[in-house]
Amino acid sequence: MTMRLNIRNSMQSLFLIGISSLALHGCKTEQQIADREPDTTSIAQVGEGVSPITTGGAKLWAENCIRCHNIRNPASLSDRQWEIVLHHMRVRANLTADEHQSILEFLKAAN
Amino acid sequence: MNTTHTYIALISLALCSGTVLGQGQPPGEATVSRAEHQALKKDFEALWAEMKAVREAQADAERALLQDASGPTWPELERIRLTQDMIEQILLETKYGESNFHVTGFAFTRFTNQEGEDSSFTAVVAPIILWELSDRLLFEAELEFGLETEDGEGKTEVELEYAHASYILNDYVTLGAGKFLTPFGIFGERLHPSWINKLPDAPMAFGHHGGLVPMSSLGAYVRGGFPIADAKANYAFYLSNGPSLNIEGHGVGTLNFENFDDINNNKAFGGRIGFLPIPEVELGYSFQFSNVTPSGFDQQADALLQSIDISYVTESDLLGGLIDVRFELVFSDVDDVAFAAEEEGHAEEGGHMEEEEEEGLEELLTFNNERSGGYFQLAYRPTKSDLEFLRKMEFVGRYGWLDLPSGAPEAFDQNRWTLGVNYWLDPSTVFKLAYEHTEIDGGDDFDAIKAMFSIGF
Ligand code: HEC
Repeated sequence: MTMRLNIRNSMQSLFLIGISSLALHGCKTEQQIADREPDTTSIAQVGEGVSPITTGGAKLWAENCIRCHNIRNPASLSDRQWEIVLHHMRVRANLTADEHQSILEFLKAAN
Repeated sequence: MNTTHTYIALISLALCSGTVLGQGQPPGEATVSRAEHQALKKDFEALWAEMKAVREAQADAERALLQDASGPTWPELERIRLTQDMIEQILLETKYGESNFHVTGFAFTRFTNQEGEDSSFTAVVAPIILWELSDRLLFEAELEFGLETEDGEGKTEVELEYAHASYILNDYVTLGAGKFLTPFGIFGERLHPSWINKLPDAPMAFGHHGGLVPMSSLGAYVRGGFPIADAKANYAFYLSNGPSLNIEGHGVGTLNFENFDDINNNKAFGGRIGFLPIPEVELGYSFQFSNVTPSGFDQQADALLQSIDISYVTESDLLGGLIDVRFELVFSDVDDVAFAAEEEGHAEEGGHMEEEEEEGLEELLTFNNERSGGYFQLAYRPTKSDLEFLRKMEFVGRYGWLDLPSGAPEAFDQNRWTLGVNYWLDPSTVFKLAYEHTEIDGGDDFDAIKAMFSIGF
């Protein structure tokens, strides 16, 4: 196996991607970034100070919303936005009506 | 205050009436006797004393109110009133209508440097419009705007990834129609958005180009989820226009999933059934059955696609982080038909074939049209690490493969190893870097480096 990649070309391009990444990320307002804290998927950490994970809605949220993608901070969206997104996720993830309602209530209380 | 005013009023009245009585009456007609004067004076003095007492009591009460630390002071009350006015104003300004509208989506820029090819950048932005018309009715659409530079030439592509409406019929059934991401397997419907996919590209069997499964379909669906004791199950079935068989060119024998005009009256019927014995595990079986005969083709061909998928996602104390395991296996079985052989230069219309058949069978190409492919992917993110930097890192490995019919033109079995490292800036913003090694049966192996920056917004 011979590695014939043009290393210099790669480095240049990676540098460019890095710069554009920073530029794109910089486009978000401070507020948006602050809204998304804490920025780790750890369920325990995201839920910290919000509500104990053992209660109905929070537990269903932690169990269901990590199945396909990282969990987003409840504070990242408003009540109204969570209503629409949860409707979207109910259809996409085939959630039951119970799961839909309990998770929505939790998110509205925790955001 | 009010009592004070009343007393003052009464006293003034009393005094005035005395003066008026004394001055206004003609002398001799109604003069006030000494006794009367004394009585009035006494009354006046009594009232005066009472008023003084009331005044003092009131001053004491006011003083007590001002000294009481728990109660609001007047300036505080004024501030509260102003704040209340302001909140009322804001609420009025942001009052919603009946329907809900939300724009979300994702964007990415990707760099690919593949051995034997020019390196290139790709940029895509894919806005998603969510329109909730009622508690039950949702319209969702995704547009994908792509910018590609290939061989120095710039291209812009716009694709309608999906556009469909869904209606929640009851707790367990949702109906929908339009162009939707096909609920076949899990990659297309659940994992393909760039902020969800843990590597910069799709597994070989699941791409838009050369993949074995439909990524989106045009038709109608019914779907939902329900509990079974402590476990859970979900389903999604659809009826769609379905794919058509490519009967000429390089991809002869493959299925074209991107044709949106139905090619015949036979719809494709497919779906997926998922089962979650525990919340962390999901097992799925998918199928799609369709007649894939293109119009004008003189032979009939059916296709049966099947797949199984397994997901395991958990945050493990033992391993100190989030484990994400995915496995998908796809089988595609298309009826064997005779295609016009490419090298003879007759691969134009299906109609030509009969002539060719009369001339001689050596001009026809036929092979056992069975394909399979899949991938196994493992990702680990040390979410419980004490170091913030490590908590944001994710390590991913994927093995993907594609087995193609040996008699088909330009169809070579291949497999690919991908190793990736991701850095998550927040739950939906990620920088991915991956190294790939691809082996092609009977061809040269090649390596590639892929990098991607992606945002889900
Ligand atoms: C079955 C997989 C799956 C599950 C489970 C799931 N999601 Fe999603 N989610 C997706 C996909 C796929 C998208 C991207 C939508 C697209 O690109 O079409 C998404 C997008 C989102 C978005 C971005 C806004 C949007 O509506 O597209 C948010 C926020 C979100 N999900 C939150 C949640 C929450 C909260 C839960 C738990 C109830 C959840 N998700 C469960 C698959 C899932």
